[in-house]
Amino acid sequence: MNPRKLLFSVAAAFALLATACGGTNSTSNTTGNETGTLTVWLMNGSAPQSVVDGVNADFKAKHPNVTVNVEIQQWSDVTTKLDTAFTGSTPPDIMELGNTLVAKYASVGALADITSKKGSFENSGTWLQSLTDSCTFQSKLYCVPYYAGSRAIIYRTDMFAAAGVQPPTSMDQLMTVGQALMAKYGSDPNFSALYFPGKYWYAAAPFVWDFGGDIATSSGSKWSGALNSSQAQQGLTELNTLVSKLSRADKTGDELKQDAAFAQGHIAMIVANGWEVGVITDPKSGDPTLKDKLGAFPIPSHTPGQTAPVFLGGSDLGIAAKSKNQALAREWVGLLGGTKFQSQMVTVGGVIPNTTTLVSLSTGLPAIFASAAKNSRFTPNSPNWANVESANVLQDMLVSIFTGKASIPTATSTASDKITTILNS
Amino acid sequence: MGVAGNARAGVVSRKHLEAGPSRYVIARRLLPYALIAPALLVIAGVLGYPLGMLLWISTQQYGFRELIQHQGVFIGLQNFATILTDPQFNYVVRTSLLFTVINVGLSMFMATVIALLLERVSRPVRILLSSGLVFVWATPVIPAVNLWQWMFDYEFGVVNWLLTHIGVGNYIHHNWFENPVQGFAVITIIVVWGAIPFLALTLYAGLTQVPRELVDAAEIDGARPWQVLTNVTLPIVRPLLIILFSLSTIWDFGVFNQVWVLLNARPNKDYFLISVYSFQESFRVSKYGLGAAAAVVMVAILAIVSIFYIRETIRLTAEQSQ
Repeated sequence: MNPRKLLFSVAAAFALLATACGGTNSTSNTTGNETGTLTVWLMNGSAPQSVVDGVNADFKAKHPNVTVNVEIQQWSDVTTKLDTAFTGSTPPDIMELGNTLVAKYASVGALADITSKKGSFENSGTWLQSLTDSCTFQSKLYCVPYYAGSRAIIYRTDMFAAAGVQPPTSMDQLMTVGQALMAKYGSDPNFSALYFPGKYWYAAAPFVWDFGGDIATSSGSKWSGALNSSQAQQGLTELNTLVSKLSRADKTGDELKQDAAFAQGHIAMIVANGWEVGVITDPKSGDPTLKDKLGAFPIPSHTPGQTAPVFLGGSDLGIAAKSKNQALAREWVGLLGGTKFQSQMVTVGGVIPNTTTLVSLSTGLPAIFASAAKNSRFTPNSPNWANVESANVLQDMLVSIFTGKASIPTATSTASDKITTILNS
Repeated sequence: MGVAGNARAGVVSRKHLEAGPSRYVIARRLLPYALIAPALLVIAGVLGYPLGMLLWISTQQYGFRELIQHQGVFIGLQNFATILTDPQFNYVVRTSLLFTVINVGLSMFMATVIALLLERVSRPVRILLSSGLVFVWATPVIPAVNLWQWMFDYEFGVVNWLLTHIGVGNYIHHNWFENPVQGFAVITIIVVWGAIPFLALTLYAGLTQVPRELVDAAEIDGARPWQVLTNVTLPIVRPLLIILFSLSTIWDFGVFNQVWVLLNARPNKDYFLISVYSFQESFRVSKYGLGAAAAVVMVAILAIVSIFYIRETIRLTAEQSQ
C-alpha cells in the first residue's frame, strides 16, 4: 500500500468513527432501543438493595439493551475518587453527591446543567427546599434531590426504664439523665451513657447552633469563620462537659463504628441518622433483638422544651457533564427520585424523602427523625466547603478540645482562621 | 608527481585500511549504549516523565478547577514559598526526618542482630526463623496494617486487654493515638516489623559470604567475638550495609500506607509525615500545586541523603580497586 493510500484509509476510518460517535451523541430522546452502559455511583448505605433492584428492573423494562452498573462507594474517600473521575474523559454517568459537595463540582462545570429539564422530574415542584438549594449554583440546577437525613438521639428504652428516667427535654436534663444512667451501669468499663466519638462534628454542630453560634458567616462573597464566637464556644463547652462525663468512646475516633458499638449493648444513647436504626438491628452487622428496645428523641435545646437545630444531611443525584447518555441518565435518576421509589426509600430505608408530599409516610422512629429535620441548618454553601471537610478542620478542633490538647478558645480560633482561609481561597 | 601520486595512494590506502577497524571501534563503543537504550527509554518514560510533570505542576497554581480544565496557571516558585514558610510544613519535615532516623536505626539494628543469629542457630531453627520472616515479607501491607489496627483498637484491641491482664497497668480504653508519641511508636513497630524480613535475609546472605578462614585467623590471633564482628565481619559486608541503609532511608522517609490505613484515612495533623502532607494537600484539599511542591521538597531531601550514600559507595569501590 503506498503512503497516500494508507493516509486516505486512516482518514476514512477516523471519519467513520467520528460519525459513529456522533450518532450516539445526538440521541436526545430515549426510544427504547438504545444500547450501551450506564454507570451509577451510589454511596454505601444510601438506598436499600431492593430499591436499587426495583429501579433497575423498571429501567430494563423500557431499555432492554442498556446495562446499568450500580457501584457502591465509601464516604471516606469519595471526594478523591470523584475528583479523579471528573478529570478523566469517562466519569460515571450518574453519581450520588453528599449535599455539601455539590457546589464544588457544579462550580467547575463537572455536572450537567439540568435547569431546563426540571419540569420533567416527578414532584419537582414539591422538592425539599434545602436539598433544592444544595443543587442550585448561581441560580442553575445541577442535580436532583435524592433524600435527606437528620440526626436525633437513639436510646435504649429498657435502660432508661431500669434507671427510671424519661427522654430529656433540655440539655440540662440530658446531663441528669445521662448521669443517672452512668450511676446505674457505669461500673461496666465499656458503658457509655452517651457514646460520642471525638471526630463526630455532625453531632457537635447542633450545640454550636443551639447557642446562636455558626460555623461561618458571609457578607457579600467574603466568608469568615465563626466558631470562635462566644456563642459557639458556649455550645462547645456544654458539649465538652457532656462528653467528658457521659462518653467513653474513642476521643480520636470517628462515628463509622458507632452502630456496631451500640449493638454490643454497652451504650444507652447515640446521636445518629434515622437509617442507622436499620444498621443496629441488622442480623449480620448488629443485633436484631434490640428492635423493640430502641427509642428516639430530638437533640434537646438548652432552652427547655425546644429542640436544637440539626444538620440537614442528605444526598443529591448528579449527572456528569461528560456523560454520553444524558437522556438515559436523566431517566434513571427520575425513577429513583420519583414517587414510587421515594416511597420505598421512606418505608424500607427510613430516610426523609426528597418531596414534602411523601414525608407523612414516615411512621414510628423515622417520623421522629423527620420531625427533627424541621429545625435544621446547613453548612456554608460555598464551592470550597468540601475542602473544609476534607481538611478535617472541624474534626481536628473537636479532637483537640475533647483530649484537652488545646483550650476551647485556642482550638476554636485556630479552626476559625483555617475555615476563613479555605472558604476565601 | 610520481611521489605525490604515491603519497596520495598511500593516504588513500591507509584511509582504506583504517576505515574498517575505526568503524568497528566506534560500533564497539556504541554497542553498550545501544544495549542500554531500551532500558533508559523505559526509565525515562516511567520515572522521568512523571518527575518532569511533578516539577512542572509544582510551579503552577493547580486546583480543582485547573484539574478539570487540564490547564494550570504558572506562578513560579510561589508554592515553594508558601510551604516553606508554613509552620505546619516545618513540623512535618522535622517529624519525617526524626521518624526516618529512628525507623532506619531500629530496623537496621534488629535486622543485623537477627542475621547474626540466623548464622549461628541450628538448621531447623534457621529454617523456622527464616520462613517466619518470609511470611511477614509476603503479607500485603494493607491487610497487615488492618490487623495491627485491630490489635491496638481502643475498645476491642488485644494489646490493651493483654497489658491489663499481665498487670502492666490499667489499659482498658487506652487510646494509643491520643498522644502522637505513642501513636508514632505504634507506627514504628509496624514499619520496623515490615522492614526486618528483607533486611535480615539480605544481610544473612551477605554474612554467609564472609570467608571462614578470616574469622578463624582472627580468632586464633586472640580476637574477641566483638572484635571479630567490628574488625572482620562488618567491614566485609559494609557495601551491603550501605545499600540497605540507603534503601531503608528511602522507604522510611516515604512511609504513607501505615499512617493512612491505621488512622482510617483521616489522620490528625500531628501524624502528618511528608508523604501524608503531600497527599492531603493534593488529593484531599485539591491544591495539587502545593502538594507537588511538597513532593519535590521530599525528593530533594532524599537526593541529598542519596548523594551521601553514593559518595560513600564510590569511595569504597576506589579503596577496593587500589
